[in-house]
Amino acid sequence: MSAIMDPATATTRTFVEATEVWVPKDGRLVWSSGNYGALDAFAAVSEEKSFGKGEGLPGKAWDEARPVVLKAFDGSYFQRAEAARAAGLTSAVAVPVFAGSELKAVVVVLCADDDQRTGAIEVWCEANGLLMLDDGYYGAARHFEWVSQHTHFPPGQGLPGGVWAANAPMLMRDLGSGYRFIRADSAGKAGLTTGLGLPIAVPGRQTYVLTLLSARGTPIARRFELWNARSSRSGAASEAALADGICQREGPLWNDEHERRVAAWQGPIGEVLGTGLPLVKYDTALLTAGYASMVALPIYRDGTLAHVVAWYY
Amino acid sequence: MQRLVVIGAGMASGRVLETLFETDPDAFAVTLFNAEPRGNYNRIMLSPVLSGEKSFEEIVTHSDDWYGEHKVTCRFGEKVVAIDRARKVVVGEKGEVPYDRLIVATGSVPFIVPVEGRDLDGVITYRDLDDTNRMIEASGRPGSRAVVIGGGLLGLEAAAGLRLRGMEVTVLHLSGHLMDRQLDEAAGYLLRKDLEKRGIAVMTRASTERILGDTRVEAVELADGTRLEADLVVMAVGIRPSVEIARAAGLAVNRAIVVDAQMRTSDPDIYAVGECVEFNGTLFGLVAPLYEQAKVLANCLVGKPGSFSVRELSTKLKVTGCDLFSAGDFSVGEGREEIVLRDPSQGVYRRLVIENDRLVGAVMYGDTGDANWFFDLIRDGAPVAAMRETLIFGQSYQGAAPLDPMAAVAALPDDAEICGCNGVCKSKITGAITSKGLTSLDAVRVHTKASSSCGTCTGLVEQLMALTLGNAFNPQAVKPMCGCTDLGHADVRRLIVAKQLKSIPEVMQELEWKTSCGCAKCRPALNYYLIADWPGEYVDDDQSRFINERVHANIQKDGTYSVVPRMWGGITSAKELRAIADVADKFQIPTVKCTGGQRIDLLGVKKEDLPAVWADLNAAGMVSGAAYGKALRTVKTCVGTDWCRFGTQDSTGLGVRIEKFMWGSWTPAKVKMAVSGCPRNCAEATCKDVGVICTDAGYEIHFAGAAGLDIKGTEVLTQVKTEDEALEMIVALVQLYREQGHYLERIYKWLKRVGMESVRAAVVDDAEKRRFYFERFVKSQETAQRDPWADRASGGVASHEFRPMAEITFKEAAE
Repeated sequence: MSAIMDPATATTRTFVEATEVWVPKDGRLVWSSGNYGALDAFAAVSEEKSFGKGEGLPGKAWDEARPVVLKAFDGSYFQRAEAARAAGLTSAVAVPVFAGSELKAVVVVLCADDDQRTGAIEVWCEANGLLMLDDGYYGAARHFEWVSQHTHFPPGQGLPGGVWAANAPMLMRDLGSGYRFIRADSAGKAGLTTGLGLPIAVPGRQTYVLTLLSARGTPIARRFELWNARSSRSGAASEAALADGICQREGPLWNDEHERRVAAWQGPIGEVLGTGLPLVKYDTALLTAGYASMVALPIYRDGTLAHVVAWYY
Repeated sequence: MQRLVVIGAGMASGRVLETLFETDPDAFAVTLFNAEPRGNYNRIMLSPVLSGEKSFEEIVTHSDDWYGEHKVTCRFGEKVVAIDRARKVVVGEKGEVPYDRLIVATGSVPFIVPVEGRDLDGVITYRDLDDTNRMIEASGRPGSRAVVIGGGLLGLEAAAGLRLRGMEVTVLHLSGHLMDRQLDEAAGYLLRKDLEKRGIAVMTRASTERILGDTRVEAVELADGTRLEADLVVMAVGIRPSVEIARAAGLAVNRAIVVDAQMRTSDPDIYAVGECVEFNGTLFGLVAPLYEQAKVLANCLVGKPGSFSVRELSTKLKVTGCDLFSAGDFSVGEGREEIVLRDPSQGVYRRLVIENDRLVGAVMYGDTGDANWFFDLIRDGAPVAAMRETLIFGQSYQGAAPLDPMAAVAALPDDAEICGCNGVCKSKITGAITSKGLTSLDAVRVHTKASSSCGTCTGLVEQLMALTLGNAFNPQAVKPMCGCTDLGHADVRRLIVAKQLKSIPEVMQELEWKTSCGCAKCRPALNYYLIADWPGEYVDDDQSRFINERVHANIQKDGTYSVVPRMWGGITSAKELRAIADVADKFQIPTVKCTGGQRIDLLGVKKEDLPAVWADLNAAGMVSGAAYGKALRTVKTCVGTDWCRFGTQDSTGLGVRIEKFMWGSWTPAKVKMAVSGCPRNCAEATCKDVGVICTDAGYEIHFAGAAGLDIKGTEVLTQVKTEDEALEMIVALVQLYREQGHYLERIYKWLKRVGMESVRAAVVDDAEKRRFYFERFVKSQETAQRDPWADRASGGVASHEFRPMAEITFKEAAE
């Protein structure tokens, strides 16, 4: 059984400490939603912030129109370094959400380094017909980081290559087998078993794939959902069907006989369908199978909302 | 409590037990046999397990606890040896179990392609968890290569899974397009494109000859000699019902175990369910009817009414990112009409088939959002006349007015990109139209570059011009190739090259054909254009040719054929004439006639005799004269300096040389040539498509004559001094015609369209260009000079054309 379904992980810390959503308003990125756990001071600083294009981490992801990994705050362009240091946060990944050429939001996940927390947030980028590692944050999975830096994926192979070729999110349960061989072996040793891969649409022809690799001990989340919102192209994207999903508490979420669907504005997934914006929620146990927090990310294709990916912890 | 024994713990029998326990949990004491050492799991989800997108634990339908809870005696890993109906016992490998009621749910077994090497280590079928695990293990070896035989649902899911695991994968499929039982040619093309994007190599019309290796598989050899290295071969060509136990027990078995609508076999105490049954002559491979059978059977066991009937089925492929759907009957037929929607930029194809105001079939690729709605319309047989205009756009468009393309263009924002090739937006085009007073498409192309590259935005640009200029805009009158497209021959030819389109389905999808498969006008034209533009790459599509070109003979009014062997330059020999005479006698050919092109025509040959006639003519050294083809026909000659007192050059020799150099080449329309040895013109070269008049000074090259429905003397292209120059000039001229001519457009009509100036500029005035065309012709001849008679006489090519059709069908594997 995959790591996230292992009940033993229920009480462990998660790999990501905080997640926040920034949306454009009057030419700047302003705070939209976020979950900072117990990091109230950092939350308070963040909620007051705004970023121009190119400013800070969210502004950089907007300006460069690509996911940005920042592994050290001190001395960097990260504008909340002091508050982050006080909160114990050490690294962050910013993911822009574009609908065609329009920036809808920037999602930032923040992590705290320690010797125990293992996981991976990777950004893969196409170069000469192959996906190469653009950058990644791995926590304590140092060997896996090194292996990943020396791995490439042809189209269709492995989680990054599969997501790239399918242009659709994928949730893999078994990273320890056949997953470009050496990387699989290293992933197995690092305890990384479950992987979520997301195509990141940006203006132009560049291809980015974001992978979130979850470890048994410090999972990125305990429940993952992949919703297919590709309704008829000639109609509005008003509903989505659950294409895949797995939950530590409820087991497999997919059902090949009875498709689970949500309509726009129906629950948090419906809210993402309705607004087209990412969403971070907390204290929503009733909505989210008892999980306190969730992140829902819209995935755009050709300018229209194609999928919603959600993870809960 | 009655004793119920179930043979086979598959999805159908699993659903029977679920329903039974829900309805009457204490009705039966159940014993469940399963040859696999495990209970019921969702077999159709094995492909995501193979790809790593599901774990096996997730697809287990019934756990040990579930069986325990329902007091099922599980005999897993034990094969059933026999059913003793007289004693009402099931004989397992480890002992007998008596029954009051018995369910046979033995499912199916994969079909093994009966080729040499099928028993080698590393050759597997794809049916159960053990097969899946074998594939996962094989994929763990770095650089390993897999060949999947079968491009149906199961084969493609296996291929995608193996690729995701890191293997180099090739799919071999016998038919012309993937999933040919579920998809039409157009959707099959998009699926292939999608799979190739994943790095999966796809070979259609690929027949496996043998599997090579000593003890372990090393390669797969195809019928055409192609060798594919392989560490793993997966056979996924279909399934056949597993009926041996039932047959041995004396139950009624046709292709599968015969059941009635309550799933009863010929023995009233024995039922059958799943892929091993045959109901009203139908076999079952998809899961939906199996579940329906299960429900009926469970109800029947507890005395509740129920009746199974065959319903419409739909198909989906479980490969992430491949959005396809098909349902119903989408074959072409009389009284049927189709509605087709294509969006090449998004890889979208939709096709609906309507008959008697009912939707009877649907195929969709790339946008399956309305699949369920269309499926309901098919199953319900609902009338569609009221929504005919907007039906193709889906449910959300019902009640709306048909789309107005002009309104859509008007609504585009100013910065909307119109021409993707040159990055030209709407405002730049409209601005140029108004500020520069542009009124023609060519002028817009010159000033903005819009529509000047691949040309697919031409329609949009014209709509913008109409919008901006109003009545002042007069669109260029382009006659479409046929009703399947708005594009003319010239645009289609240009776009085939510009967009590197290399198959008929690709042309139709990328150029937004309005029909699914084209028509008798466009298919032969496209087939020719692709042959001419991509020699050696494009595979000639026999089904896109008229009957004469398909059977390489001319059909006559009584249904027999005429056969004309080639006689180079009109020269023959006693040996050839004897062979022709012998053929005429042997096959009782009623008429032997000399043609106007200096050849001999055998008239009245029966179709089934054609291969044997050709074999005899081949044996005498003769090849097809292509008297039926849009191709080089004859090169008529006079006797020239060999015999004639007036001859100025070796006209016969030149004619033979031209014919031997150019035979086999396909052309837009038939091409007849002649070489006359002096201006007296005994070979009548001045009414041919290409003619040569020899003079003391050399060779006068003529072309564009006609002596058929139209009568027209030739035009003089040029004069040259040597035979070599004459040959190069003629070859370059024909190649230019091959590349520019519209299908069925004779050379004289082509000249009228393009003008003498442009022909001379390309062929006469510029030696480099002439050489370029000459060399392109030579290149195309590398694969063209193959005698079609010889291929067919051996029975290797298109043998079905000449013998009654034998049909062997295999049922597709379950989802």
